[in-house]
Amino acid sequence: MFLEINNIKKSFGEGDSRIEVLKGIGLGIERGEFCVLLGPSGCGKSTLLNIIGGIDHSDEGYISIDGEKTGEMKEKKLTLYRRKHLGYIFQMYNLIPNLTVRENIEVGAYLSDHPFDINEMLKTLGIYEHQYKLPNQLSGGQQQRTAIGRALIKNPDILLCDEPTGALDYRTSKEILKLIETVNQKYGNTIVMVTHNDAIKHMADYVVHLKDGTIRKKYRNENKISADELDW
Amino acid sequence: MKNPLNKRFIRELKQEAGKYLVIFILLVTIIGFVSGFLVADGSMRITYDGSFEKYNIEDGYFDVSKEMTENQKAAVEENDVAVYENYYVEQNLTNESTLRIFQNRTDVDKACLMEGAFPAKAGEIAIDRMYADNNKIQIGDTISTGSRKWRVTGYVALSDYSALFSNNNDTMFDAVKFGVAVVAAEEFETFRTKELNYRYSWVYDTKPANETKENNIAEDLMKSIGKVVTLEAFVPQYQNQSIHFTGNDMGSDKAMMEMLLYIVVVILAFVFGSTISNTITREANTIGTLRASGYTRCELVRHYLVLPLIVTIAGAAVGNVLGYTVMPNIVKNMYYGSYSLTKYETILNADAFFRTTVIPLVAMLVINLLILSYKLTLSPLQFLRRDLRRRKAKRAIRLGNRISFFARFRLRIIFQNRSNYLMLFIGILFANLLLLFGMGLPVVLEHYQENIQQNMFSKYQYMLNVPTSILSSDSKVKSLLSMMEFSYGVETDNETAEKFSAYSLNTTDDICDSEEILLYGIVDDSKYISIDFADLAAESDTEKQGTSNQELTNSVYVSSAYADKYQLKPGDTVNLKEKYKDDTYQFQVSGIYPYIGTLCIFMPQEQLNRIFDMEDDYFAGYFADTEITDINTKYIGSVVDLEALTKVSRQLDVSMGNMMYLVDGFAILIFIVLIYLLSKLVIEKNAQSISMTKILGYSNGEIGRLYIFATSLMVVLSLLVTIVVDYFLIVWLFRVMMLKSMSGWIQFEIDKSVYIHMFITGILTYAVVALMEFRKIQKVPMDEALKNAE
Repeated sequence: MFLEINNIKKSFGEGDSRIEVLKGIGLGIERGEFCVLLGPSGCGKSTLLNIIGGIDHSDEGYISIDGEKTGEMKEKKLTLYRRKHLGYIFQMYNLIPNLTVRENIEVGAYLSDHPFDINEMLKTLGIYEHQYKLPNQLSGGQQQRTAIGRALIKNPDILLCDEPTGALDYRTSKEILKLIETVNQKYGNTIVMVTHNDAIKHMADYVVHLKDGTIRKKYRNENKISADELDW
Repeated sequence: MKNPLNKRFIRELKQEAGKYLVIFILLVTIIGFVSGFLVADGSMRITYDGSFEKYNIEDGYFDVSKEMTENQKAAVEENDVAVYENYYVEQNLTNESTLRIFQNRTDVDKACLMEGAFPAKAGEIAIDRMYADNNKIQIGDTISTGSRKWRVTGYVALSDYSALFSNNNDTMFDAVKFGVAVVAAEEFETFRTKELNYRYSWVYDTKPANETKENNIAEDLMKSIGKVVTLEAFVPQYQNQSIHFTGNDMGSDKAMMEMLLYIVVVILAFVFGSTISNTITREANTIGTLRASGYTRCELVRHYLVLPLIVTIAGAAVGNVLGYTVMPNIVKNMYYGSYSLTKYETILNADAFFRTTVIPLVAMLVINLLILSYKLTLSPLQFLRRDLRRRKAKRAIRLGNRISFFARFRLRIIFQNRSNYLMLFIGILFANLLLLFGMGLPVVLEHYQENIQQNMFSKYQYMLNVPTSILSSDSKVKSLLSMMEFSYGVETDNETAEKFSAYSLNTTDDICDSEEILLYGIVDDSKYISIDFADLAAESDTEKQGTSNQELTNSVYVSSAYADKYQLKPGDTVNLKEKYKDDTYQFQVSGIYPYIGTLCIFMPQEQLNRIFDMEDDYFAGYFADTEITDINTKYIGSVVDLEALTKVSRQLDVSMGNMMYLVDGFAILIFIVLIYLLSKLVIEKNAQSISMTKILGYSNGEIGRLYIFATSLMVVLSLLVTIVVDYFLIVWLFRVMMLKSMSGWIQFEIDKSVYIHMFITGILTYAVVALMEFRKIQKVPMDEALKNAE
């Protein structure tokens, strides 16, 4: 198993106000799979994503990526690990406002010894003609494409997406999902996407339903459809 | 691949041009000034030290009443010294100053031509440059005594008069009322013999190894010369204030200048720290994303550290260039305003570079590194969640509903920005300290001159000059004859005259250089000093204690100047010593006599005479309310009148007056920079809230009243509090300055109007900044609130 999530527990707060957000999550994702974590707000999906990404720690259990347990890594090693193997996409794009589109993507390229070609990436993302614009000159979709470019350019093994379409309209969301699908097919990255959009499960290889910190349902999608065909 | 984040630097500089520019200007100004000062100071020191050899400065001089014969000269030179004629005349000019005129000297104490030409013929004169400056005498002008005239051909600096002391016993020189000059031999010969003062300078064949050996050699030399001629004065070089005062004073401001630089750099480093903290808060999401993507903490620390360092390096580079080119001339002029130094050449100084570039850079690096490292220790997730608090959020301070909404709003802004306002307070404290010094010193000197006039014992105070022949002669008969002649010559018929005894000792304080304390022995029922010595007599214990050290315990009164400077109070004990001997004396303070003129001690005349083994009828001078005209002038060592007592304050005024404008200007610059930067931070920090209040329908005026009023309130409070704190600070600093580098005492006493001026200056400065900030508020776009509403 490429990505192994074993009995992850996580709680916040102390005493009476203690809330158990994850109550022993366990699942395994194969290399190159597109996994969708579904569930309502507060079910713990973003927390799980952050633990997978090594930016949050579990109280119990472990995450193992290609045989390496992230929980045992010290801060420096974890940063290095993220640098080499992980890419992040957030709902808010978090681009650097005084860098151009191209430069924002270069920010990701800098982290890799063998990044993808930036021009090709810009073309794949459909923002080649906007490459010299600053983020505030772009639409939301274009900004998210830039953020995807920044995460993908270093060719990460795992792409972690936290509600990547949460701030976008229907049409733009579909474009972004299509792009993620293309990326998954073209570069073979493992993708873990957190969303509350139920429709997205249809394009995933592996679907996990979370509720109240537990897995309600998980299954491999036999009748996967393309992003183009999605509707909600 | 180069770090793409580096591309932000130029853009950040452009976007925040105002912020970086003001910091840059402040750094350039302070580094330029201090660097210039250190370079000029170092160069001046080299020039001064080198002048001893370059101009063959004498090892001492002695005065005699008439010209020595060749045989006498040869006899003196048998003491392993070379003797040079150094005759002079003193002429009172029509501008009410006195000019000491020498024949241009070619062997010893050579003159340095500063501008123009040396006098070549009769009727020509070259005068001291500083004296000329102070009296506004130009080359080509004619100076006159009324009966004689000279055309000024040039400005000179006499190597043995770097400080223009007319009398070596004076506490301070006076370069306004006294000057030196040289004339050609042809002109000098026209002076009548009776006008001439026969001064001879000597140079040792072999220089003594140290001052103690020189002191012993000089004492022996004085005795040897005393056998050959009748000495009127004998001053070895190390006792000659005209030569050594400048050297002793040089460098005394260096520590103050460096401290000024480091304080400004530390303040600026914290300002940078605050602005970076603000940027980190603003860019929290981006930082979180970068950290989550694999950027290390070190990479981000380095990234945010670059601009402060670039600005500091650029400021240091430009400051140093100015420091080596423009500023030394300003500092040189300051030195030339105080001292009559020989020609100066700027000499590059590695130490100045280190102190003005490396140290500020390291300070900036360390302070910002600590702030950044601390700020960036938060986890990526905390940045992503914009959860930048280290401690759990405290409950909001409850503000009662009785307080108006606007007042509560402003209070919240103040609570939110308390670290910025603390920085503002420290900055204003420092700027006000400079302003108080700049605005206060001229007033202090003015006060001192007014007070001292009302505080004089008598209009005239004559200090008699015991001829050196009495002390130097081995022949008892000769000594006795000189003594009798002296005793007869110093009696006066002036009815206002009152005799007093005097003796001078030096302080033994460890914290500052030893300085002279004058001990007065006052007659019973003195007309001039109203102290009831009857109580002292009972306390007095004049028994000698110990044999090697002449230690005596005596009850005395001290002048208020002495008490203020050394913080003496009744019951304290003061230890004094002979200047060049090991004998020490102990006195107990019985009371403080209100006299600000000099540091002195009062005791009954008979007590002083007994302590110092003087005859019962010994006296050293007269107090008088009218001028004494019937004493031979050769027996009058110095006359302490109003002019003499205000020499210190006048000289301070002349030498530091111009500098005070620089200090004022610099203080205002610091005001502007700090107030601008920190109030800008408050606005930036609240840009989103300002935007939101605009969306809600608040007018720019209302928003200004909320945000600018909060800062205004803090500025006004800071101004008021710092003026009080600074008063105590300056009084302490002024006392330290007087202790460390000046003899005498001037109380730091200023009018309330100075504080009002300071306050108004602060408010006006802030008004300019507030206007700029109001414009900034107007420019905050309404979509700011929507853009960052994650």
